[in-house]
Amino acid sequence: MSVSVQNLGKRFRGGRRDRPPTLKERLLTWGHSRRSPGDFWALRHVSFEVADGEMLGIIGQNGAGKSTLLQLIGGVGRADEGRVRTQGKVGALLDLGAGFSPDLTGRENLFVMGIAAGLTRRQVAARVDRILAFAEIEQAIDNPVRTYSSGMQMRLGFAIAVHTDPQVLLVDEFLSVGDLAFQSKCLERIRALKSDGCAILLVSHSPEQIAGLCDRAIWLRQGEVVSEGPPEMVTQRYREEMRQETKRRTPQRAPERSASGAMLEMEHNRFGSLEAEILEVRLHPCGSLEPGEALRIEIGFRVDRPLPSPRFNVSISRAADGFICLDLSTGHASEQALIDNGTAVLSLQRLDLASGAYFVNVGIFRTDWRYAYDYHWHVYPLQITGGSAGEGVLAPPFAWQLEQGAPPR
Amino acid sequence: MMSLGDQRVVHYLDLLWVLVGREMKILYKRSVMGVLWTLITPLLQLLTFVLIFRLVLAIEVEHYASYVLTGLLVWQWLQKSTLQATGTIIGNRALIRQPGFPVSILPVAVAVTGLIHFALALPVLLGFLIVDQADLGMALAWLPLLMLIQLGVVVAASYLLAGLNVAFRDTQHILTSLLQVLFYLTPVFYSVERIPAEYRDLYALNPMVPLLTGYRQILIEGQPPSWGSLLPVVVLVLVLLPLSYRVFERQSQRFVEEI
Repeated sequence: MSVSVQNLGKRFRGGRRDRPPTLKERLLTWGHSRRSPGDFWALRHVSFEVADGEMLGIIGQNGAGKSTLLQLIGGVGRADEGRVRTQGKVGALLDLGAGFSPDLTGRENLFVMGIAAGLTRRQVAARVDRILAFAEIEQAIDNPVRTYSSGMQMRLGFAIAVHTDPQVLLVDEFLSVGDLAFQSKCLERIRALKSDGCAILLVSHSPEQIAGLCDRAIWLRQGEVVSEGPPEMVTQRYREEMRQETKRRTPQRAPERSASGAMLEMEHNRFGSLEAEILEVRLHPCGSLEPGEALRIEIGFRVDRPLPSPRFNVSISRAADGFICLDLSTGHASEQALIDNGTAVLSLQRLDLASGAYFVNVGIFRTDWRYAYDYHWHVYPLQITGGSAGEGVLAPPFAWQLEQGAPPR
Repeated sequence: MMSLGDQRVVHYLDLLWVLVGREMKILYKRSVMGVLWTLITPLLQLLTFVLIFRLVLAIEVEHYASYVLTGLLVWQWLQKSTLQATGTIIGNRALIRQPGFPVSILPVAVAVTGLIHFALALPVLLGFLIVDQADLGMALAWLPLLMLIQLGVVVAASYLLAGLNVAFRDTQHILTSLLQVLFYLTPVFYSVERIPAEYRDLYALNPMVPLLTGYRQILIEGQPPSWGSLLPVVVLVLVLLPLSYRVFERQSQRFVEEI
């Protein structure tokens, strides 16, 4: 086992104050007990193991203890209960580029961070070319880091961290590094490390990321493991709780008619806290398509007070049984606050759905997916007509061919 | 093939080297004058002291310029390093979060940076000594030993202060005031003989007093330092260094959550 965590517990001092304590205050209150009653367990009774070459996803909301867990596994800080055992060098992709000195050049910073990550000077020197090639900043490497864009800094930080031969790698929400091309390069590198036997722990609050990448997952809630197992199962339970949370926050309101004429009734086909409201959903060209046609979905929304980078989600479900045929969300790329009225647009270049009756479901969610602001379920009908009428949900263009006389290839 | 222990020593030294190098480079790049600034401050102070105490207050100390410059350089090392060490944990948040990073190297890096600045200023000091016709000789061989003792004093103080400042963020302000008092309690610009005899034992409790006296014996008088008065400082370092290291290590477990 590369990582073994047994009954881990970490207590934080409670009563967090707005500013750090001062020595002066302490001297003035000498002799008075300062132990605040608000101590709390950031982690408690956490146990799991990660094998060589295994990728474990850790999902949970902000403040669930995910980062604290990574720190303890990295040997930073000490547990109050239980213990952590790791085998081999532990590497980390935490706050990428945060440790750089702005006045030093990229190369100088590379040496500082590479050696701080556990390499010797000679080892770093031998890897400089590979690191620079990976980070794609060969040209800028002798300029001061303060001239770098944040994307360049993150790329350099990532490149250093994945070239330190870690046997255990701790990753905190890494997919926000740079553009899509670089992200897939990072993923490829992570997979390569994994197949070399590196154990990887990925912290995320995105169920898609965990389900798409990990071999196993655990779900942390208020410092305790709620669920552990195959990532699909764990993320499903996580989403389920999100639905419950949304339900809890859904206010009472009389049924109303949306701009497009659909009836909206809270807790029936509309859920969410209504901190953001979906005013109108329009389908272009219309609500009736043939398989393979393009579809544009326009979501008109309004917010009462600014909301930090919420997520838009569109899904298409079959009318008969609610089966989800398509599920698309805005990712980290939309780190933009909602402040006013606006429209979000999803363009599908072609939609190869089998003919039948569907609904377009639309939602706006909190950044960490904790609950929905507004979610319209089975409100906007979509009819697919023509095409093949068989079982299944897909109707791509197709052709059959039959060849005889030649041996099978 | 290096053993694991050797590898660890190599890595520690590499890390120290690169952290000290970072400090020096930052200082060097921030201004055209670069490292020279660390010389300009004491030289200006020197000028002030020479003018005031030669012309206005008439303190009679032999080789006064060399005498004061020695004091200022030794003092500057202590002052700059302790002040800088106080902020070093908070200033290196990302390094502290790095798995496997030996946090206890940070105060050492600060102290060693001070040592290097001191060493870089030595040629200028030697120039003054030559002009002042001080008694330069074999006694200079003792200089590295004294620097080592001072390094011990600075590292021990840095450990205590660096940890303290994480818990109490006003440590730096308080330290600034304390250092000011300590400056006047150290014979930087006046002679120890001016201290009344009955207070002299009390006065020598300040470890900088025997240390600085030792430096001057070597540099100005060309004598080996008087070990009788230095011995308590050596003992102090030998006791305080492991103790302060322990305290620091204990505290460092909580650094991440407190910064």
